[in-house]
Amino acid sequence: MTNAVALAQSGSSNVTFRNRIINGAMVIDQRNAGASVTQTTGNLFPVDRFFITGSVASKFTAQQSSTAPAGFNKSLLITSSSAYSVGSGDFFVLAQNIEGYNVADLNWGTANAKTVTLSFQVYSSLTGTFGGALVGGSTYSYPFTYTVSSANTWTTISVTVAGPTSGGTWDITNGSGLIVRFGLGVGTTYSGTAGSWTANNYFSATGAVSVVGTSGATFYITGVQLEAGTTASPFEYRQYGTEFILCQRYYQTFGNTSYAGIAAGLNNNTNTKSAFAMAYNTAMRAAPTVTFSNLIVTDRTAYDTTVSSISLTQAGANSLFIFFNLSSTAGGNNTPTLLCVTNGTTGSLMCSSEL
Amino acid sequence: MYKSTPIPFGQTEPSCVIRTSDGAAIPFDPDNTDYQEYLRWLKAGNTPEPA
Repeated sequence: MTNAVALAQSGSSNVTFRNRIINGAMVIDQRNAGASVTQTTGNLFPVDRFFITGSVASKFTAQQSSTAPAGFNKSLLITSSSAYSVGSGDFFVLAQNIEGYNVADLNWGTANAKTVTLSFQVYSSLTGTFGGALVGGSTYSYPFTYTVSSANTWTTISVTVAGPTSGGTWDITNGSGLIVRFGLGVGTTYSGTAGSWTANNYFSATGAVSVVGTSGATFYITGVQLEAGTTASPFEYRQYGTEFILCQRYYQTFGNTSYAGIAAGLNNNTNTKSAFAMAYNTAMRAAPTVTFSNLIVTDRTAYDTTVSSISLTQAGANSLFIFFNLSSTAGGNNTPTLLCVTNGTTGSLMCSSEL
Repeated sequence: MYKSTPIPFGQTEPSCVIRTSDGAAIPFDPDNTDYQEYLRWLKAGNTPEPA
């Protein structure tokens, strides 16, 4: 079947931008630059837009990998850190939270709900029936299963899901519209029968393989695509710049290079503060949480003063007015100053409006 | 844990709260998920450190 025929038969209403998943080819990793991260009980992003979490910390690691099937350059690698016996209330997952605007046309929760197809490629040291779940609305979920028959072999998976006609309120604006979860070990409390919608917050399907149950087990995934329609069309490989901007709606950084300039502003010598107004590279989903590492304010000649903490005066989805508290005074009151990365470091200002 | 911030010049109330674990400045935006988490923390009976 040609790609054109497959696309025509998929029933998708979009020829381009049909994939509701962002960074499905795992190519963008702004936070870690390919380094491994160890799972915690919070949400960590081993690559952009995909997060990992679990009920108990340190049961697996995740990182961008160059092991990939034909047609791809990257994948996301999950490695089990121990042989953990999953309890009934445990959960370990990889997931992406899709913004409501990007699934609003699916009309979920109404009589016009559209069918979707989730497709991806996996490569695992384990075989068997794996699980996941689609979750949205007022905690409404659809557990699904998929089979990996051959270990350490790329396997293409496709799961078609009839859209839910109920399930409470489904966000269609800038909140959480739909969560796609891949179970890596989920207890009975958060596992449900595969193949139907249910008013429960499930993470996976009953009886699915537990990746965290085998020490050193590996699980690679890439080519994740969620689209309207009844069959999977070829993966929509968007241009890197386009995909990067899509990611920046949720996370963006400034700096990242030694002595890189970030913004120009003013000193307030009395309070050892500097104030900067900044515009984001692209509009963010919401006013972001702001963190920083290794920043200075400087006039590039007389002083390089370390930033010790920050405070927001105004924060919106398009721009930011931010105060930096300094370790010592810098320049004179109301004198111009620059916000830069500390010399010799890869410091940055980081803005996150993840779901 | 969280720490309050001073009222910015020209405003009548603080615009953000600091998450003490990583120094993150969290804006008071109802769509920000970190702010939503802060509200749940407050609802649980907790109080931020003073500015």
